[in-house]
Amino acid sequence: MSDNQSAIRISQSAIEASAIERLAVEIAGIKLKNPVMGASGTFGYGLEFAGLIDLNRLGGFSTKGLSARPLPGNIPTRIVETHGGMLNAIGLQNVGARAFVEEKLPLLRKYDTQVIANVFGYSDEDYLEAIQILNDGEGIAAYELNISCPNVKEGGIVIGSSPLAAAKLTEKARRAAQRPLIVKLSPNVTDIKELARAIVDAGADALSLINTLVGMAIDIHSRKPHLNFGTGGLSGPAIKPIAVRMVYEVASTVSVPLIGIGGIASAADALEFIIAGATAVQIGTANYYDPSVTMKTIDELADYCNQHSTTMQSLIGSVNRN
Amino acid sequence: MIDTIATVESNLELTPGYKLLTLNFKEAIAAKAGQFAMLKAHDTFEPLLRRALAIYRIENSNQLSFLYQVLGRGTQMLSHLDSGGKVDILLPLGNCWLDEPLQKTGLGSKALVVAGGIGSASVYLLCQELQRRQIETQIFFGAANRKVATGCGLDDFKKLALPITLTTDDGSLGERGFVTAPLEKFLREGKGENATIYTCGPWVMMKRVAEIAEGFAIKCLASLEAPMGCGFGVCVGCVVAIKDADAKSYQAYQRVCTDGSIFPAEIIRWEVTAMAH
Repeated sequence: MSDNQSAIRISQSAIEASAIERLAVEIAGIKLKNPVMGASGTFGYGLEFAGLIDLNRLGGFSTKGLSARPLPGNIPTRIVETHGGMLNAIGLQNVGARAFVEEKLPLLRKYDTQVIANVFGYSDEDYLEAIQILNDGEGIAAYELNISCPNVKEGGIVIGSSPLAAAKLTEKARRAAQRPLIVKLSPNVTDIKELARAIVDAGADALSLINTLVGMAIDIHSRKPHLNFGTGGLSGPAIKPIAVRMVYEVASTVSVPLIGIGGIASAADALEFIIAGATAVQIGTANYYDPSVTMKTIDELADYCNQHSTTMQSLIGSVNRN
Repeated sequence: MIDTIATVESNLELTPGYKLLTLNFKEAIAAKAGQFAMLKAHDTFEPLLRRALAIYRIENSNQLSFLYQVLGRGTQMLSHLDSGGKVDILLPLGNCWLDEPLQKTGLGSKALVVAGGIGSASVYLLCQELQRRQIETQIFFGAANRKVATGCGLDDFKKLALPITLTTDDGSLGERGFVTAPLEKFLREGKGENATIYTCGPWVMMKRVAEIAEGFAIKCLASLEAPMGCGFGVCVGCVVAIKDADAKSYQAYQRVCTDGSIFPAEIIRWEVTAMAH
């Protein structure tokens, strides 16, 4: 190699190192190489994306909701597209925490990305049992408590919409969890600030928001709801302004790190959340129609940081009030 | 599985509401009979999700055709594309009619292909492949009327020079009635010995074909359709209920996109999923 080539190589490494530094963030002690993650329920167990994207480039991802025992989910029809989004009532079909630990985690350990185990139950005891099982798993960076799924008949949203019930569960989960605890907030509440405050006071290390909004679509010919469950969780670009507002409100209320979720499909979307106060973001529905959206978002965020000579860290909560 | 942008070669209307979309790919696509793709007009976000379409014909390794009915916003957007237009497409997806493990009990010496309406799109390649393998094949082709039959590729099926029984709901072509009637008659006449039924069409039709197959103890494979979010197994939106699975187990429902789209008909709880159709 000539001296010139060597100099170019060194200078490229310097640029790459600087880009890496610019994108890095940290949540409750978990180091993310960039703030881009796959959102629970839309990213499977991560492995489904292995043939489509480079999982090693991903900041992390949150698994499909894991329960103590496998769950079959709801009777179809489970999804229907709406304007700028979709409604789902999957009903948390999942392999169960034990199968995740034994079958999925060994495969996930081959990738250099942060794996967050999303945990779901029908009662406080169910949640704690799932956490106990997951505590045995090697390669989980944190837990994300799903107290806000609108698509099950009990548990989930009942706990997630009551600050008292949510705080009680958070406290128990914090004690049981051997890893950082992120709690995922429901937007289906009157005052998300009150809910966030109660959960943080109960010991949550970080919050993720928002989960889906309860919605409904009706087939005008049969006059029946499109979804067999009746209602479903609305996701996609249609919910983004609501999610940004909620992240902004919660960021001014609590001091723990926030993960912004809701209709993110580009770096511009992700930046809105980060500027509103999120430390990282999770991309959900966009993965369905553009499986490489996370990769594009990381690249675009790097470009943004380079163009503005800034870092992700310094952008967090940097919103200028009108 | 390839996620790419394909270019429209042509988008021909076969009959009002039914079109044949031919796409050119930069890369070679290794697709097999029964597989499908998720696609939508490039860079459009209304509607948001891609649509699942069966791979109808393989023109060459870099060119595939899709036969589709213009039903909603997704297919409407596709229908507006002209030559040179761009399509976001993920493919090939799903299992194949003639591959293991679906054929683990061996191919029947005879194939009965039952196509209803636009379900024909999933079985044209199958018919071609059965012919190539010199497997005796009888096609049962049903449509609402003569025009719809044309839109569902009847001319292509005729060109295969395989025996074909036609039915239309209004009697404008072939026998009047549903395609399941001549199938049942065929089997009652004892012509179904050592046959395998391959079917794709409306849910009620496939449910009836499955019942007929069960009645005559004939193996039946069905290519299912369901609302799909992703097409590659992540959203778990497109599931069907499965018989004999523990109702509380993860296996109670299987994904049409990655566990199918082709299933042995006898494992499907047709009455449960029928609620969705």
